[in-house]
Amino acid sequence: MLIVDLVQSIVDGLLFGATYALIGIGFTLVFGVMHKINMAYAAASVGAAYAALRLIALIGGPAWASLLIAAAAGGVFGLIIYWLCFRFIPLSNPLATLMSTVGMFLLAEEIIVHTTDGMPQNYPVVVRGILDMGEFMIRGDLVFVFVCALLAMVVLLYLLYRTKLGIATRAVSQQPVAAQLVGIRLNHINALTFIVTGMLGGFAGALIGSAVGLLSPLLVIPLTIKGLIVTVIGGLGSIPGAIIAGLLVGMAENVFQYFRGVTERDIYVMLLLFVFLVFRPGGIFSNTVKRD
Amino acid sequence: MDFYLGLLQIMGVHTLLGLSAYVVLQTGQVSLAQAGFMAIGAYIAAMLTVLSGWPLIAALIAGALVAGLTACLVGFPALRVHGLMLVVATIAFTEIVRLFFFNFDYQIARGSLRVGPLGGEGFRQIRYFPENGWTTLHVAIFIWTVVALVMAALWWMDRSRAGAVLRAVGEDEIAAQSCGINLTAVKVSAMTAGGAIAGLAGGLYAHYTTHIEQSNFTILLATFAIAYPILGGLSSVFGTVAAVIFIQGFLVEGLRFLGDWRNLLFGALIVLVMNIRPSGLLDARTMATLRRLFSRKEH
Repeated sequence: MLIVDLVQSIVDGLLFGATYALIGIGFTLVFGVMHKINMAYAAASVGAAYAALRLIALIGGPAWASLLIAAAAGGVFGLIIYWLCFRFIPLSNPLATLMSTVGMFLLAEEIIVHTTDGMPQNYPVVVRGILDMGEFMIRGDLVFVFVCALLAMVVLLYLLYRTKLGIATRAVSQQPVAAQLVGIRLNHINALTFIVTGMLGGFAGALIGSAVGLLSPLLVIPLTIKGLIVTVIGGLGSIPGAIIAGLLVGMAENVFQYFRGVTERDIYVMLLLFVFLVFRPGGIFSNTVKRD
Repeated sequence: MDFYLGLLQIMGVHTLLGLSAYVVLQTGQVSLAQAGFMAIGAYIAAMLTVLSGWPLIAALIAGALVAGLTACLVGFPALRVHGLMLVVATIAFTEIVRLFFFNFDYQIARGSLRVGPLGGEGFRQIRYFPENGWTTLHVAIFIWTVVALVMAALWWMDRSRAGAVLRAVGEDEIAAQSCGINLTAVKVSAMTAGGAIAGLAGGLYAHYTTHIEQSNFTILLATFAIAYPILGGLSSVFGTVAAVIFIQGFLVEGLRFLGDWRNLLFGALIVLVMNIRPSGLLDARTMATLRRLFSRKEH
């Protein structure tokens, strides 16, 4: 029975880990383009899911529409964050943007608490039912989350590697000065990166809402931490790394929960991060350890 | 009156916390581990006075030493990475410490009740001050004496060779290395000093609140710790004090009449300040102007 339960928790973790991968991609993309971290990202993502929930409650609509609305809202929030926290602050000062996004994080969290009185809100279930496969059971909602997340990643990779916009974005992340010399507008690309990552985050937020079944302000801090861990384990700026690391973290979390219980599981996830920092500080996909 | 004395105590502890982050920020490292070090200092100091009956000063020093030692140990692996990786590593450290105390039970019977930390319920009955007849005023004076000592030490350090070395590493690591500065030694020392100061802040905090629990020492507290020196400016210890007064005095207490809206304004004001004054309220230029003004008066 142990093996069955273990495999079961690994599979569940892998499926849910896809949402961590999406959040990790958001952090890593912004880092790749601007070499800055957007601490408000997960808060804005959950905020976008809340906005979708509000809108659905207001005008009605099918549950799946909430995913698209959340993505749109996330894009808007991303742009707002860029304008308020990055656009007018000198980028040469790394502490300033860190602090401004932390302020934004607090603001976003407070807006959520303020508009919902801090009560958790039920999120509409998009897919229900359980796939029964002999000894194993696969939750339909988790499969849905996984498939949607994969779709979002494919769209993102297409955008990055097959379109002009993607080429410009990657050019900026490799050599901002050279990119400017060939006529790419930095501010433009930066803003677009924030919109795209914001949409990804909003989508992820809605997926998490539909898998957990509710939205709560308490989701924000753990999601920020997990997203950052995914970013570091995957290697800063590496999208494939973030995807693998997201699945890995989701899986590890469930396995540790199975062995050590829910109150201790996060300790081991954090220790996993330290293991990576000591033995592979460059993340999963670094083949050479660079000297400082 | 007690309300204002209480506010003074909070400000004192937060100033210490901010100063602990200030030391680390001098070397250009952003550490969100300060809340973890503070938790360690708080639990150690409180356990020593409550469970072992140590005198307060000895317990505070022991808490600071253990927190400093932990900071030193964490510093070695964590400082192999820098910049944003360190931010994430230290976030993870604070969470590990918090979750450790969430699962930590160590209670002994004393009289009719059991005392000591009890997992999620926290650590109650840290009654050193009431048992020894300290009034709120005494406690406030004691806390600010400690703050003044630490500030004086840091102010002196800023002017000494050690301060110059820290700043050199913070400004440009490669240039500092070329001058023969051992980067790891400097960063780990700054981390250790910061950890010890945060441990001291934790010990004081545990004793004046009389009840600590893991939820006191979250990432949010760590964010406050770095927010004070960043908002205040890194060119002087007084920036940190100014930011503590601005946040704890003005934003948290002064705007209380706004009710719920105060919390909304809090984040927005941080965003605003960073847009207007990206190098902090008291940045190097402001400090230079102030210094000129004061020296002119002396003539």
